[in-house]
Formats: sequence, C-alpha cells, structure tokens
Amino acid sequence: MVRWLWKKDVDDEVAEELGFHLEMRTREHVARGLDPAAAREAALRRFGDLDRVKATCRDIGRRRDSDMRRRETFGELRQDVTFALRQLIAHPGFTLIAVVTLALGIGATTAIFSAVNAVVLRPLAVPRPDRLAFVFGSWRGNLADVSAGDFTTLAAEQRAFSSLAAVQYSSFNLSAGETPERTIGARVSAPFFAVFGVPPALGRVFAADEDQPGREQVVVLSHRLWRRLGADPAIVGRDLRMNGLPYRVLGVMPQRFDLNAASEELWVPIAFTAERKAMHDERYLTVVGRLRDGVTRAQTAQDVEAVAARLWQSHPQVDAGLHFTTQPYQEQIVGDYRTRLFVLLGAVGLVLLIACGNVANLLLARGAVRSRELAIRAALGAGRGRIVRQLLTECAVLGLVSGAAGLLLAWWGVRTLVALAPQGVPRFEQTTLDATVLAFAFGLSLASSAVFGLAPALRAAGGSITESLKEGGRGSAGAARDWLRSSLIAGEVALAVLLLAGAGLLIRSGLALQRVRPGFDPAGVITARASLPAAAYAEPERLAATFERLVAEVAQAPGVRSAALVSQMPLGAGNSSNGLIPEGKPLAMESVVDTRLDIVTPGYFRAFGIPIVRGRALSDGDRRGGQKVMVVSAAAAAALFPGQDPIGRRVSCCEPGPDGGPDYKVIVGVAADVHSRGLGAKVAPEFYLPLEQVPREAWGWIQRTLYIVARADGAPEALIPALRRVVAGIDPDVPLYDVRTMEQRMGESVATARFNTLLLTLLGVIGLVLSAVGIYGVISYFVTQRTAEIGVRMALGATPRSVTRLVMRQAAVPVAAGVVLGLAASAAATRLLAAYLIGVEPTDPLTLAAVVALLAATALLASFAPAQRAAGVDPVQALYGA
Amino acid sequence: MPNNSSSLLHGTLDALILKTLITGPRHGYAIARWIEEATDELLQIEEGSLYPALYRMERKDWIAAEWGTSELNRRVKLYRLTPKGRQQLAVETEQWARFAGAISKILLPA
Repeated sequence: MVRWLWKKDVDDEVAEELGFHLEMRTREHVARGLDPAAAREAALRRFGDLDRVKATCRDIGRRRDSDMRRRETFGELRQDVTFALRQLIAHPGFTLIAVVTLALGIGATTAIFSAVNAVVLRPLAVPRPDRLAFVFGSWRGNLADVSAGDFTTLAAEQRAFSSLAAVQYSSFNLSAGETPERTIGARVSAPFFAVFGVPPALGRVFAADEDQPGREQVVVLSHRLWRRLGADPAIVGRDLRMNGLPYRVLGVMPQRFDLNAASEELWVPIAFTAERKAMHDERYLTVVGRLRDGVTRAQTAQDVEAVAARLWQSHPQVDAGLHFTTQPYQEQIVGDYRTRLFVLLGAVGLVLLIACGNVANLLLARGAVRSRELAIRAALGAGRGRIVRQLLTECAVLGLVSGAAGLLLAWWGVRTLVALAPQGVPRFEQTTLDATVLAFAFGLSLASSAVFGLAPALRAAGGSITESLKEGGRGSAGAARDWLRSSLIAGEVALAVLLLAGAGLLIRSGLALQRVRPGFDPAGVITARASLPAAAYAEPERLAATFERLVAEVAQAPGVRSAALVSQMPLGAGNSSNGLIPEGKPLAMESVVDTRLDIVTPGYFRAFGIPIVRGRALSDGDRRGGQKVMVVSAAAAAALFPGQDPIGRRVSCCEPGPDGGPDYKVIVGVAADVHSRGLGAKVAPEFYLPLEQVPREAWGWIQRTLYIVARADGAPEALIPALRRVVAGIDPDVPLYDVRTMEQRMGESVATARFNTLLLTLLGVIGLVLSAVGIYGVISYFVTQRTAEIGVRMALGATPRSVTRLVMRQAAVPVAAGVVLGLAASAAATRLLAAYLIGVEPTDPLTLAAVVALLAATALLASFAPAQRAAGVDPVQALYGA
Repeated sequence: MPNNSSSLLHGTLDALILKTLITGPRHGYAIARWIEEATDELLQIEEGSLYPALYRMERKDWIAAEWGTSELNRRVKLYRLTPKGRQQLAVETEQWARFAGAISKILLPA
C-alpha cells in the first residue's frame, strides 16, 4: 500500500533508497560475470563518497519535510478559517448579535486604551524622558515653589543634574495683529532647552549670556504660536511686541515640543538680577532638570537635601524647615489622570468581559445544536485536538471580525471623547489609533476569543460521540451545560453590579456637588482678566490708579449693578496663600495658619454676593497709609482665634513691619466661607486685603493682573461689550481675556467630574443591557430545551403560574449569586474611587441597594418574556411534537 | 567513472531527470539506467549527484515521491513528474535548445 512519504523517517528513507540502488548495480555487475564481493566493490566505487551523499540527501530531506509540515498546518488553518467564515455567513443572526456585542466591548476598551496610551504610556517626545525631574521645595510635606535665591544656590551646588532650569509661567500681551492677544509663556533660565534636549526647528535658542538683565528681550516661539502668526520662516530675526516692548525672535521649537494644547507658547530668558538672586523668601519658580546618567533617585534625593540643609543654615529666617523633593517629570505631568484613566480602563474591561460572557452563552447554545455535526466529524476520524482547534479558529475569526468592527467604533469613540472631554488633560487631544493601539486591539480580539471560546469548545469536543449521535445533542449533557450557563450569568451580573455601583457612587457625588452652596451668588456675574504690562506700568502707584479707574468706569457702565477687582478667582487654577500668625502667638512655624489670599477692591463682597457675618466689609475708607485692615473668612477666624471674637484682633502677615518686626493688620469683619478651591474640596481658611493697602511687592505676586467681577442687572453676557470698551478706552494695548460668566466657571470646575460620571454611567448602562440580554438568552434557551418537560408538568396539572415560577426560579439563583459576588467585589473596588467621591462613602448602602434593585428588576424583566412563553406551552403539542 | 567528455553541463542533470520521468514514475536506479541506455552509455550519470538532485527537486515540488513496489517485489521510492516539474522541463528544454544552437553556430558553421 502507498504511504505518504513525509510520515517516514528521513534516515530510513535515504538508507533504503541508496541501498536499493547499490544492490541493483551489484546485480548488474554480477550479471556481467563478477563475483559478488567484487561486484559490490565496483558498485561502491562507481557511487563515490556514499556517506557524503547520504548526509546531503538527509539534510535536504529534512528541510523538505519541515516545509511540508508547515504547508500542512497552513493548509489546515486556511481550511479552518474558510470553514469558520462560511459558518458565520451561514448564521447571520448569530453572527450579527455576537459581532455587535463584541465590537461594543472591544471598541470601547480600545478607545479608552488609546487615551491611556496617549496620556500615560506614550513617552514624551524628548530624548530619555525618564531622566527628567522636577525639584520642589517642601515644608512639612507640603510642596512649594522655589525662590530665585534657593534656585541659584541649588543650581550652583547640586551634582545630580547635568542641567537644571528655573521656569516661571506667565502670560504676555502680544500685539502682533489688529487686536492685542494674551498668550501663556514661560520665563526660563538658559539651560531650559538643554534640559529637554530638543533642538529648535528654526533659528536658535537663547544662550547663557542672553539670560541676563538688559539683554533679555529675545524670545523663542512654540510651533503653535509660530503657525498662528502666519508660519513665516523669516520671522526669525524680526521683532515681536510683547508687553509693550520689542522682543527679537531667535528661533522656533518643533511641533513635538508642544506638550499639549494648553502648554506655554513662548519662552523668554528669566534674567535674574543680582538682587533677585539674593532673595530667598519669594517662592514662585518651577525647577526642572535632567539627571546625569547613572545617578539614582536615592542619590538625587541625597544631593538636593544636602543643599537644602546648607540653605537652612545660611538663611535660617526664611529657609528653616526647607527640604527639596524631586519627582519624575512625566509622573508629575500625568499626575492624577493616571488613576482616573486606569479606573476607566478597568470599567470598560468589565463591559468587555460581560460581552464575552454573552458570546460564550451564544456559543454554548450553538454548540448544543452543532454537537451532531461535530460528532459526525469525530466519527469520520477528526481527532479531538483537531476539532478543538477548528472551534477555536472559529472563535478567533469571530473575535477578529468583531475587533475590526470594534476599531471602527473606537475610531469614532476617540473623536467623540476628544471633542467632549474637559480641557487640560495633558496630551489627551493627541489621542489617536496608532500602532500601539492597533496591536492592543488585535491582542484584545484574540484574548477575548480565548475567553469566550475556550469553555464552549472544550465542552463541545468533550461530549461522548455515541451519545451525541444517539440523542441528537439533547438531554444528558444538559445538567452540566446549565451549570456552566448559570455560572456565566452569575459572572455577568457580578460585573454589572460592580460597574453600576461605581457609576451610582459617582452619580450620587455629582448630585451632592450640585447641592454644594458655593458661598457666593454666581447668577448674573460676569468675570474677565486684565494685565497691565510692566514696561508701561512699572510704578505701583500707576498700576493702582489705572486699575481703580478701570473698576470705577465698569461700575458706571449701564446695566452694571456693582463691580470689583480680585486677584484670584474662586474655583480657578491659582492658589496663592500666605502664612498668618495671630497676635500673641510666638513668631514661629508652629503658629502659622496657611491662608488663601485675595486682594480685592471694597465692592468685592457686594459684587459677588458674599455675606459678611460679623463686623464690616472693606470700605473706601481703608486707604493707603491708614490703619491696615483685613477681612477673614469664618474658617480662617476659627483657625486663628478658636472660640473667640476675632473682630478687632490683630494678625501678622505678608510683609515686614516698619521696625523690621511683624506687620500687624486689624480684622474688621468676618465673611461667610467660600468654596474657593473647588466645589468638591473642603472649605479652607481665606482672607481679604484691600488693594489700596497691599505692599508694593504684591504687584509682582499677582503679575500686575486682576480679575474684573461685575454683577449685571440682567443677563451677564450683555456686559461683555461694555467691559471691552472700558478696557480699550483706558489702554488699547491691554487685552481683556478669560471672559466668562461665573456660572460658566462653575460648570467648568466640575466638568472633569461630570465627564467621568457620564462615562462610567454609560459603561454601567451598557453592562446592564448586555447582562439583561445574557439572562434573556439563557432563560429562553432553558424554555426551548425543556418544552417537553414543561408539557408533561402541565399535562399532570401544573398551572401556568407555577410554570412561570419554575422558569423564573431558573434565573433567580444565578442572578442572586451574581449580586452577592458583585457586592463583595465592589466593596473592594470602589475604594479606588474614594478620591473622586464627595459627600458619599464608597460603601454607601443607599447606592448599593439601588443597584441591587435595578439589577433584580432587570433580571426579572429579562426572564419574564421567556417565562410567559413557557406558561403558554400547549401540553399536547409539546408532547407529540409539532 | 565518467570522463570529461561525458560529464554533464551545469543544470542539465535536472532536465534529464525530468525528461526521464515524462513517461511515468521511476525509482532512482531506473532513472540512472534509462539515461545511460538512452545515450548508448555515452553519458554516465554521476550517482553522487543524482540523489541529492532528486531530493532537491522534490523539495522544489518539481517531482513527487511515494513508496511503491519494484519489479523484484522490493519497497522502492518512486518519483513522478508534477505539473510544476512539467513546466520546468519545458523551460529547461527551451534553454538547452538555444544554448546548443548558439554553440553550433560557432562550431559547425553551415
């Protein structure tokens, strides 16, 4: 009988074939009259180097065999894939449901993953981003910025960084076109560009000798700003008017240097003066550096701490208690978003698992139908492994088809996410479906296939052949299959509970957030910012006079009920604070109460609707040279003078007194607390100083920038033209920017929280719907399989009611098990959310009860329709078959 | 041992083997014998090259092999031509004809 050659061992094959050849030659020689020994000798001589030929043949033969095996495997794979595709096309209903379910899961997971990839995982587009680090000052564990004096010492004495730069973020009035523009820029020390190691795309960056007072009117533009200014390469070497002064454009940075849409757009030298370098008490610098190769984190910490200890010694008055802390650059930039995004990725992964559960259920149902087909194939000689491989191939094909559909969904989802997401998430707008994301989606599709395909495939291949043939796939394996199905339902329900518990907690926080009374009355208030450039407004008197004229003219404008100025906006980004020491306490760190500082004009409380609860508000009588006064918030009063009346008490702050000792200000009033740091944050101490009485240096703290607050008689938006007119009338080069109603600001301040809640709720709903579909599918299948049994029961006198109960009970057990499992899991998992919860505990019983009720109702609804169908079974038809 | 005049030009062995198989499956010894007889023993197949050539062509899928039974009732490996091998034979025959024609024009001018 003919045997396929590749199944025979190559060594035997070669030996046998060549042996035959030699024997035939020998016979030939014998026939010509040679004796056998001589004949064999002649045959061998004629053949040549037998061993070498054998070796060559074996070598080629082995390679031939491995080619063949590879072709064989690919052949089978192609066969399986073709068969799988034909199966999918032959059952369009099944395919559609499975693909839509999986595509939802894969698409959503891929979309969220691409955001994680863009924000967290993708390295920064600079060389060796892992070597970049921030240096912060820290006091008793609280991070602080660094003073110019401390920076100068640090830069000179540290050894851990190859380059170290100081950065002061600051906004600039840019008058390039018709209307002046306000742009965020940074004053940086010369090593800044060396720290990041990114060369400019055009021109050059500034040199060390340009980072000096008197030479600092040079600027490097970001790619974004350069494009906005017309993308003209010839801009290098020209002058740009900024803050009223000409700045020579030195160069343009490449596009990849734009960290995100909100990052700074230009860089100018910070050019410390000698006096500035000696100042250790004004802390306003961000310090960033590139670590030397091979220097560890521990060595870095040691190095900067040694400098801090020396500063502590040399400047005990201001630097006592100072520490330096380093933090990896990317970690600091990404910060809190890392956890948020991973929580979302986890949630969306749960949705995908539920989807896989549903598809596994569908496959189990299909497996029951197909067991006959599989049994026939097994009877025809297909091995168990071969059948499992074929079923898994079908799953992989299903997974990949769904993955492709999921990618389309993800593409759309990413665009929607980027459009809807709140501003300010670093690099979020760079979210795209890049190679990493494609690889992730591919891997995810295959992994999902394994999850939903393995159990059904093993089960389908594990059934006894003869039984399947005899019974046509009905009956005996039923109990075990039902058990598997029930576990899948329980798992899906548990996952849904987990998702909904998370979503429910966030929704409750959102509701709590809406109930938070901000402490001011936002209705009818318009706000905007104005900055006076240093060049034209150097003297504090001129600054104060200009701003006072500004607020007076705004107050006179038609439709304005009251107007005021303030140095920082509640719910805004800034958080400038000062240390207050109540009179009578020792002048030491332990006595300091860290209090948020608002520099205001007297009308502030009226314009913003902040009630004065004791004493009086600031008044026009609180002038320069008069008694120095302040208004404190209730929280500040309680922290400074617990249990006492603060009115008339004195507090030291902000500047040295006339004799070099503490400078005391009298508390004249107590204002109601305001949620200045955000509606979700705890109320913190706060105090108000009149603009008239602030020290000269305060203009530097606030960078000659104030917010205008105006309360309108009618709609606040109607005041915008009037505000613009007033500002343009005072100085046409001064832009009015960041113009928003207070209600807009409130909305923006909770936008991130809302966005998270929206996403998690959406995922919870998808999870709920998917598990409802799963429950419906399993119970329907149960009813179909048991039609005969139900018929018997009804024939024996069971009522439709009791049949309904029987079917519903079938659903109730796994659902209940799933709920218990889900509650246990959420007890552990919702702790991850604790940081984002406001006014609600992670184990909030009301939320959990609502989730359980919602799931129970959904499960009831999903199993009700099939139960009704069961109750409507006609016993005669069921028993004799239709 | 084949002398110089009967040694095969490079690449010709493959063509001869393919040609041998055109009439039906043969084992390696039969191929060698057929070539010797067909050329009146002028060409002696170098047996050390024949078998590696057979394995190589099998790997290239020009010929296929299966085990069969010989005239003497012995298990032998029988080679047959595949469709791919048939094409290859046509290509090599055509190449040979052109080569031989070119050489003839120089050595045997009309």
